[in-house]
Amino acid sequence: MSEIKKGQPKRGISVYSYQALLGKTMTLEDAFLEMYDTGATCFELLTSYIENYPNPSTRWIDRYWRLCEKYNLEPAELGHWAENHLHRGPAMSDEEVVEELKQDFRLANLLGFKSLRTKISCLNEICDPEPGWQSYIEKALPYAEKYDVRMQNEVHLPTTLHTPHIRDEYMAFIQRTGTKHFGFNIDFGTFQFKPTEGMTQSIWNFDDVSKPEEIVEFLPYSWTCHAKFTHMDENFEETTIPYREVIQLMIDNGWSGNLVSEYEGPYVFKAMDSPADFGIASVQIPDQVRRHQIMLRSILGY
Amino acid sequence: MVEYSAIQQRGFHNTCDAKGNLDGFEFRFTPKYYKGLWFTQCRFGNVTVDGEVFDRDSLIFEYDGLEYTREELFDVKIYWQIRVPITVKVKKPGGLKLGYHDVSMDFGWVLNYNGEPEKEFDGSGLGNGGHMMGTENSRRMLLAR
Repeated sequence: MSEIKKGQPKRGISVYSYQALLGKTMTLEDAFLEMYDTGATCFELLTSYIENYPNPSTRWIDRYWRLCEKYNLEPAELGHWAENHLHRGPAMSDEEVVEELKQDFRLANLLGFKSLRTKISCLNEICDPEPGWQSYIEKALPYAEKYDVRMQNEVHLPTTLHTPHIRDEYMAFIQRTGTKHFGFNIDFGTFQFKPTEGMTQSIWNFDDVSKPEEIVEFLPYSWTCHAKFTHMDENFEETTIPYREVIQLMIDNGWSGNLVSEYEGPYVFKAMDSPADFGIASVQIPDQVRRHQIMLRSILGY
Repeated sequence: MVEYSAIQQRGFHNTCDAKGNLDGFEFRFTPKYYKGLWFTQCRFGNVTVDGEVFDRDSLIFEYDGLEYTREELFDVKIYWQIRVPITVKVKKPGGLKLGYHDVSMDFGWVLNYNGEPEKEFDGSGLGNGGHMMGTENSRRMLLAR
């Protein structure tokens, strides 16, 4: 049996990390410059950060590509939502949902994104999907293929890789359809084993989180992962998530997808409390992302 | 660029009718959520100033030059761009006194993850999205006009 070739994950950043500052003290170009400063090579954008979404002007699109070129950053993932409750009353029909999805697929294709973080409507905090999702997602698959994009369900704390719906619904769907256009964005928060100081996370059960080795089975169905973090210390370590172990498993199992830093820590949630808190967040959020990139560089070696 | 909080002081002033009489006030608002929202998914609540409540159905919302009531917005399939404020227009004969005021507005939205889909389909509530960041928005602001 041949040895698995080591993977080379790309080091990137989610623009979501700066969301508390965007449009306040930071423009999209500022975010690109921040990312460039870290040596990141790819990025995640959310549909909301596309000016005049869902109909960006050609001027904006040209400017977007100029930013990618100027700061040497490649599009990795577009975060979007499979909305089926856009209106009061019953959920939308499959055809209506697919039309919304097609719109985002086209945009992703236009903006160079090969993977999507697709939020499917859920019923509760562990994100058990609302029944019926398979129907509209399956109808959208031919369009995902046409526009060369891969929808990824995000496995996000408190959901674990062993939460029943991950295997019983999402993995079963992949296996039944044989699709290469649906998979998982494994958010590293799913491996978080203790609460973050300064954050209200007491409702989550940190005794039953994803174990690093669980990721291996999902890697063939994953193209972009959120390297989630909530606090980087001054030694450039994230002490609540077993980063080194998880990334080593990804490398050893040949994963060469996009690993994008996604900051979701206390500075974000306090930023709107007062002008003083916002001032602190303005400095600390970019600092946290830089620290995280230094850690990733140290683990990956590039 | 907008200010740090959901309720914006920039744009907070009294308004006049056609004869130049003070007939109310207005302020700007941008959701604290990290993404834009379709107006069909927005759930506007009441405005309160120094304890006086202004019913949500008496408010006028201006976006991109057009005015809507809360009820009309349920049918407006326009994407509310992130960090683009809506102007909230409130009728109050005589306007507000110059000086500091405690202004608040409830605002919720319909979210498709981390929670049960909205139960109150008629829009009587504040959606299901507020459990993450709360629906209350308030700010002490200085009125100078």
